[in-house]
Amino acid sequence: MKYADWPLSAPVNITWEITHRCNLKCVHCLSNSSQESPGELDFEECRGIVDQLAALKVFEINFGGGEPLLKDYFLPLLRYIHTKGIVTCVSTNGTVLTDEAIECFTGNPLVNVQVSLDGATPEVNDRIRGEGTFHRIIKGIERLAGRDIPLSINTVVTSLNFMQLRRLKEMAVSYGASLRVSRFRPSGRARQSWEMLRLNTEQLRELSDWLGDDLTILTGDSFFSISQDGRRHLGLDMCGACKMTCCIDPCGSVFPCAFMQEREFCGGSLRETTFKDIWDNSAAFKYFRQLEPEACRKCPRFDSCRGGCPAVAYFVSRDLNSADPECLANWSRDASPAPPLEGR
Amino acid sequence: MTCRLADNVQVRKESWGLLFYMQTRHKVCFVRSGDWLYPEHFDGTWTFDGIINDIAGRTDTPAEIIERALPRLTERLTKKRMIIDEVR
Repeated sequence: MKYADWPLSAPVNITWEITHRCNLKCVHCLSNSSQESPGELDFEECRGIVDQLAALKVFEINFGGGEPLLKDYFLPLLRYIHTKGIVTCVSTNGTVLTDEAIECFTGNPLVNVQVSLDGATPEVNDRIRGEGTFHRIIKGIERLAGRDIPLSINTVVTSLNFMQLRRLKEMAVSYGASLRVSRFRPSGRARQSWEMLRLNTEQLRELSDWLGDDLTILTGDSFFSISQDGRRHLGLDMCGACKMTCCIDPCGSVFPCAFMQEREFCGGSLRETTFKDIWDNSAAFKYFRQLEPEACRKCPRFDSCRGGCPAVAYFVSRDLNSADPECLANWSRDASPAPPLEGR
Repeated sequence: MTCRLADNVQVRKESWGLLFYMQTRHKVCFVRSGDWLYPEHFDGTWTFDGIINDIAGRTDTPAEIIERALPRLTERLTKKRMIIDEVR
């Protein structure tokens, strides 16, 4: 039985995009962030949401955006969440760290910090995250490293940085951090760069092998569609949207995941109803829970992945019933001379 | 002997049982215990016999059945480091 079959009264974790404001303009930004959106939630509204999540015993909130540290009330909100015992993960670009933020993170068992870095050199990173950002990000990582802060470096894997993944792993280790790799998905600003930055079949195969060989690399559920059995045993085996997780946007709308923030997938607004009502009753969430893409149902791997990432399938084909174009079964067929995956 | 949640582990009740969450590894553990177990059973104050009596009283399940099933379940949770045994 898969976790998708165990209905949850609330998510295990929530991605909360606290603002669309960002000082960078990365070409792959999933939320197309740069300016604060009109009508972003205020501090009291956020506290009210936290109260709801705490009452539901949501275990973890992952903050992203936008750059969370640019939200003026972010650190007070973080402290408030910690009074409720909820674990937090702060995803930051590392360029706007303040002493106050570092003090808030240090020695705090409820904080994990993830710094985004998209290349092991300025030449690669800066093409994605902007001119001059590599050195600024590294300075940020150096300020965080060596303290009592669970730290990871997050890299969105693209054709530009693919050849640097091993170096990025070494860099992370040198800072006492983990490397976390995320899947490049064609949402937000990434839709414009999808064809240019997506991995090709051979790169996907190589990535799958690498992840299978090194289980210390963190992936969240990013690569379940190309994960081989060894890594799948870590439990990262299917889309958790609306089952284990969901996403709150800066204005209080709730979506299946951070990559599925189309209007038609919105479960509801926290300004109009409760989180529990959205989780239990929204039509969009019910639809996602029973989603079994038609194109995948006869696949022998269907029970393993239940159809891959709906976000990628949707943004490539505009059809939630189509297969994830990067799923392991698909590219295994395409690259026919390759050795069988079983028994590796 | 009592059981209590391991450090950095949280638990909540679900319709099918208990959902454990280990915050240091961001891992979850699903336990299909129905209405037998509640998070309070792992607060460190409940003895094994006390839990058995509580379940039997609430569910009309014969104590022998609970006595057979409960150790398997708690052993699994101990192995997964979700709970720890305490000798009082």
